Amino acid sequence: MSAVLAGVGLVKKYGSTTALAGVDVEVGARDSVAIMGPSGSGKSTLLHTLAGIIRPDGGQVLLRGDRIDDLGENRLSALRRKRFGFVFQSGQLLPELPAEENVALPLMLEGLPRAQAVERARRWFAPLGLDGLELRRPGQLSGGQAQRVAIARALAVAPDVVFADEPTGALDQATGTEVVRLLTSVTREQGAALVMVTHDAEVAAHCDRVLRVRDGRISNYSQFTVS
Amino acid sequence: MRSPVLPLTWHLAKASGRRGFQSQLLAAAAAAVGSLVLLTLLAAYLGAGARADRTAWRTPAPDRHGTAIQALATTYARDEPITVVSLAQLPHRAPTPAPPGLNSFPKQGDWYVSPALARLLHTLPPTQLADRFPKSTPYGTIGAAGLASPDELVAVIGRAPTDPAVSKSADRQGIYDDGLTARSVVSGFAGTRRSVFTVDDQAAVLLGVGLLVVPVVVLAAAAGRLGAARREQRLAALRLAGATPRQILAMTGVEAAAVGAAGALAGAVAYGALLPALAEVPYGIGTWYVGQLWVGLPWVAAVVAGVAALIAVSAMSTLRQVASSPLGVAQQSDPRRTRLIRLVMFVAVLVYIRVSTHGSTLKPGTLVALMVLFYGAFWMFGPWLVDRLGRVVGRFARRPATLLAARRLSDDPRGAWRTVSGLVLAGFVAGFFTVGLLGIVGLDHRGQVAVPTANAAEARHAVGEARRLLGAAGVDATVGTNDDGFLLGGTDGVVAHVSGGPAALDTAVTVLQPLGAGRLPYAGAYAEAQDAAVSDRLAQLGTATLAVSFLVATASAGLTAAANVLDRRRTYGLLRLSGTPLKVLDRARVRETVLPLLVLAGGTTATGLYAAVQVNKAAGTTISTSGAVQLAVCVTLGALAMLAAIGASRPLLRAVTADPARATD
Repeated sequence: MSAVLAGVGLVKKYGSTTALAGVDVEVGARDSVAIMGPSGSGKSTLLHTLAGIIRPDGGQVLLRGDRIDDLGENRLSALRRKRFGFVFQSGQLLPELPAEENVALPLMLEGLPRAQAVERARRWFAPLGLDGLELRRPGQLSGGQAQRVAIARALAVAPDVVFADEPTGALDQATGTEVVRLLTSVTREQGAALVMVTHDAEVAAHCDRVLRVRDGRISNYSQFTVS
Repeated sequence: MRSPVLPLTWHLAKASGRRGFQSQLLAAAAAAVGSLVLLTLLAAYLGAGARADRTAWRTPAPDRHGTAIQALATTYARDEPITVVSLAQLPHRAPTPAPPGLNSFPKQGDWYVSPALARLLHTLPPTQLADRFPKSTPYGTIGAAGLASPDELVAVIGRAPTDPAVSKSADRQGIYDDGLTARSVVSGFAGTRRSVFTVDDQAAVLLGVGLLVVPVVVLAAAAGRLGAARREQRLAALRLAGATPRQILAMTGVEAAAVGAAGALAGAVAYGALLPALAEVPYGIGTWYVGQLWVGLPWVAAVVAGVAALIAVSAMSTLRQVASSPLGVAQQSDPRRTRLIRLVMFVAVLVYIRVSTHGSTLKPGTLVALMVLFYGAFWMFGPWLVDRLGRVVGRFARRPATLLAARRLSDDPRGAWRTVSGLVLAGFVAGFFTVGLLGIVGLDHRGQVAVPTANAAEARHAVGEARRLLGAAGVDATVGTNDDGFLLGGTDGVVAHVSGGPAALDTAVTVLQPLGAGRLPYAGAYAEAQDAAVSDRLAQLGTATLAVSFLVATASAGLTAAANVLDRRRTYGLLRLSGTPLKVLDRARVRETVLPLLVLAGGTTATGLYAAVQVNKAAGTTISTSGAVQLAVCVTLGALAMLAAIGASRPLLRAVTADPARATD
């Protein structure tokens, strides 16, 4: 038994402000973890640190047991591209690309021929309720549809972990619930872990566990066991 | 009630932070380049006219009751023209006023030279130049008022009324003498005829200005669109919050006009500071007096106001969508497609040009008008072509960077067109001017010196004397009255075929002077002066148009690229965060410009060449191969400069994506 992703003793400071004060966290395959907390509590910093976007001042980040926080920028970038998927609140889709090409882009970046990349991308549209929207541009999609395209793009590369930062922040309640239900279920089906920052308790309730962050520490950490 | 527009605009401008300031700085820089180039073009146009006017006094304006005789002659040294004005006060007549540049009318035996001629007199041996002038007294200096350029070679010589140099035989005789040799009784120096060497300058500059105005206007318009995405988002939010379309447009207009005016003013200051440097750029007869290039405060104010207005209008036109559909802009849902009517209009113009030129010989002027028509039509056609190019490349793209670039092209073809239009149209202009009209066919006068004489008998007599003079000066030459090369232009005289280089030729011209009975001997440059003046100006115009076009195109490309990075920083940041390599984003940016550049610049350059061939056919001239080489070199350099300008925003791209975590904010 081992965690897919682990943060051990993570410390991050911005000047005199301590964003993370020795956080330990583990995420297993198919596990979905919601990170909640008030503004400025350090939840986004924790997600960015685990995703290799920012480097911790102390502690380690391990992906399947291998340390990643000390990798060079190019290798970290490649790692994010190949083994992580990202869903943000909005704006992550390229407005000039049709939906299917937005999903295919990470695959093309990995060297897959375009025809194959697009073919693989299209497979995601029906399961995510996007059938018939393949050639629509992001501006021609509703907020919920655009987020589902973003989910498809995050999962297209078969990542180990999907990171979602307020994925329902720009959506209404009903659409947000639908999107997060899809996000958690499809991520699990793909065997990937999900780490999601949200301020919405109803959204967090769709995850297996909820970590509450306050003053750079996890206030309700519970030990994870792989099922 | 007081309008909230101004205070709100000021507040929003201040609150836009570093990001907004960067966009405004870029817009101001574009406005500065635009106003600098426009003022320089205006200065060249007005200055060319002003200095041409300064040559008018040398061509005598006849007055039967005049007080003096004035004779204009033109001689050459090292293929450079020297204007010689001989003046003789007539006895028992009122004193003649001083010519421009002199304090008094020159007495017999006095002579004056321009500073440039003084330098040349010191440089060349007397037998090659100084011996053509009086030796009796030291010469004075002609002031700037009598000169069109600091480089101009001019001499004013006081003569006796009986001197052959002011006799009737010194008047115009042959076909080459028009504008170069003239003689008349005058009462003053209010001449109205500009010299052969300056008369076409202003028209040539005007043509260049006409062709360059479009790229400059595009640059200024691009300045108005800088930061458009950020502004659109901000103002769309204001619109959603209840601001009226009129208030939105007013706020945008005020902000853009203020930024544009500040930039244009900076450009005007730069123009003022650069005047001494600009005056050192030779055109036609040489460099300029600084005062000739100063356009005056009213023109400066007009250009600054014009650029600011242009930027404001451009900025407001981008916001029409916000005013009509705030949600559409906020969600970026509207692909900016182009309509087929652009292609239809372009084809219609091509058909019209084809019909107009088919089977008839057109005047070059008409063909130039057709060229301008084509130029305008291509302006309509360009965005449509970029759109189609984007779709075709997008369909077949294999690499992510190419796909991104192609989709960007078809997403905003007008924006992509604006980026490359400067160089694309410069290619057209360059193709036309550097290759067209340069290869004017002329008779071969190399190594020949003509000495016009009063009649055939004098010519026969002069042959022996010419041989003696040339022999004494050590010049190897054959002399006769046979004028196979038509250098004498139909007059009687002697032709010497001189062996050796320019020094031998100048020596021959100098030593043969006594045989001319008032007429100066001359070589091929004299006979070709009229054609050379036209072709030289067009060649200079082509080069200058190329240089300014490339400057404007490079500025346009660089500024647009930087603005795009700032406008798309969030998207770039999120792509970087997701692991997209920086080089992919950078390659996509570069290909966005290179793709249309390769297709369109190549196409228009070829079209310019075609137009040049048509003009040459109509004018009975030949294509200049050196011009073609110059064109190829210039277009390549221009393309490289544009790519370098785009590359210059790479550090900005790196900086805005350096902290990807901020992109999620």
